[in-house]
Amino acid sequence: MFLALREIRAARGRFLLMGLVVMLVAALVGIVSGFTTGLGNDTVSALRALPATHVAFATGAKSDQFNRSLVDEATVAGWRQRPGVEAAPLGVTITRGTTGRGLEIDMAAFGVEPGTFPAPAVRRGTGLDAARPGLVISGKLADDGVRVGDTVTVDRLGLRLPVTGVTGDVSYGHVPAAYLPLDTWREIRFGVPGARTTPERLPRDASGVALRARSGADLAAADHALGTLTLPMSKVLEAAPGYKGERVTMTSIQVFLYLIAPLLVGAFFAVWTVQRAPELALLRAIGASRRRLLSYTVLQAALVVVAGTVAGGALALGTGLLLGAAVPFSLPAGTLTATLAAVALVGLAGTCLTLRRVTTPDPLTMLGAAR
Amino acid sequence: MTLSLSDVTVTRGHGRTRTPVFHEFTARFEPGRVTALVGPSGSGKSTLLAVAGALLLPDSGAVVLDDTDITGLREAERTRLRRERIGYMFQSGNLLGALTATEQLLAASYVAGGGTRRHRARAVAALEEVGLADRLKHRPDQLSGGERQRVALARALFLGPGLLLVDEPTAAVDRTQADAIAKLIIDRTRAHDCVTLVATHDPAVIATADTRIDLNPEP
Ligand SMILES: Nc1ncnc2c1ncn2[C@@H]1O[C@H](COP(=O)(O)OP(=O)(O)OP(=O)(O)O)[C@@H](O)[C@H]1O
Ligand SMILES: [Mg+2]
Repeated sequence: MFLALREIRAARGRFLLMGLVVMLVAALVGIVSGFTTGLGNDTVSALRALPATHVAFATGAKSDQFNRSLVDEATVAGWRQRPGVEAAPLGVTITRGTTGRGLEIDMAAFGVEPGTFPAPAVRRGTGLDAARPGLVISGKLADDGVRVGDTVTVDRLGLRLPVTGVTGDVSYGHVPAAYLPLDTWREIRFGVPGARTTPERLPRDASGVALRARSGADLAAADHALGTLTLPMSKVLEAAPGYKGERVTMTSIQVFLYLIAPLLVGAFFAVWTVQRAPELALLRAIGASRRRLLSYTVLQAALVVVAGTVAGGALALGTGLLLGAAVPFSLPAGTLTATLAAVALVGLAGTCLTLRRVTTPDPLTMLGAAR
Repeated sequence: MTLSLSDVTVTRGHGRTRTPVFHEFTARFEPGRVTALVGPSGSGKSTLLAVAGALLLPDSGAVVLDDTDITGLREAERTRLRRERIGYMFQSGNLLGALTATEQLLAASYVAGGGTRRHRARAVAALEEVGLADRLKHRPDQLSGGERQRVALARALFLGPGLLLVDEPTAAVDRTQADAIAKLIIDRTRAHDCVTLVATHDPAVIATADTRIDLNPEP
């Protein structure tokens, strides 16, 4: 501590500057991470909320499966018969509506069979009922001003749906989710505006089959027999529109920041070490071990990196608060801590790149009198 | 502590800068006495101090401190010897820019692995001994050349070394300062009973020394 702190104090301008740079990088990493989580939630939280282990899609759909895939009732029934698997049909489609009070909303309509496991739990109001049409909305729609008891008219068809309950703050493809009975979903998905098709004459299809499979259940055999393609939830998330692209974008920004941080810190400490070389030579000449020089330099690095990172974390949190609920930003304590720990770690790794130089100044250079 | 060099041969540099400095040099130094190393520039005064101070290994010969031949020690052991037994005052660049005069002395304790807080009072006393009682909080750039040298001398003596090595202590100061420093070296050598080697051109320093060794450049 003795030398570490006094040297920092004497060179406080330089260390402050370095601390600020670390702070900004850490804040940027924090903010990007907040957007990664926020955007991710905005895109797939409704899928994450689904208590399923897998989803079976039609084989033809290779991407954007919720939009492209259609499975018929026979397939759903086939899946229900498989041992070790609980299956329920699921329909997903994005549509728009207007409430009785003129509020226009976008909603990701999730068609489920009431009573099956994909049906949402409600926070307020009542759940879906097979006997009558109804709508259980995401908490986000409730935040936007839709209330239990409102009637939402689906714009395309004029279909009127009473809001019966509110579930968690879930959304899909940046659109708040709204759950409705599968039959109603079919009207939205397959109904043609103007043509008064009765529900019985619409296709009896769903987007996919939500599965709750016990470990050991032979999903491949079922896929083979039923002509479906089953994906685990981690892959199902990628079926959500935009999810993969957002991930790649945000992750590559983070990766670059993780590369930049150690180089910045490393460059600073390389210069710092070169500037100190005569003093390091003096310390070696009066008997300082290499270890002592290393440990106090590492301590200096740790101080500036940790202080900068913590300040950066605070800045990221502050930014999150300023942005408010309007933008998809979410930075839970756990994520923030992990992110900051990673920044601090790569920052210190950057110092280690230059540490060898700390021990190289030759004490014999002290002999060459006035330099 | 005693120091003896026997048949010490030293070459500096490599290849085209290879320079023979000593050939089979032998000498013995007693505690409590100041030896002045005298000779023209380039005669090897600083080199001899470096060999005695375990900074530079001779090509051959023995450098014995008490009973230990330091030429047989590993680098880490020589480093340790420097911090524990040897006080070194270089011709310049002795002080650390970030530290006050008092802290320069405490840095010696820090380097030796001890705490610094409990030595503070002793550091202040040591600076008073070299006449710097009212310069305790000054940093190197706030001290005159002579004051810096006195801080360096106090630092070299701070841990009670058995061997004190001083390189051109008066090269950068005026007559009065030089006399004061020469007197300090004698005083401190007597008080600490250390072996003291002073490389110098200064007649005043040579005059106060107990013995002198004349070094001549290799022909
Ligand atoms: N690193 C080196 N490489 C090659 N030769 C060197 C090196 N260092 C010193 N020398 C040579 O060794 C000789 C002795 O140098 P040293 O510094 O001991 O002289 P000195 O007696 O202290 O001189 P001065 O009074 O100028 O300080 C000089 O001739 C010098 O040129
Ligand atoms: Mg010299």
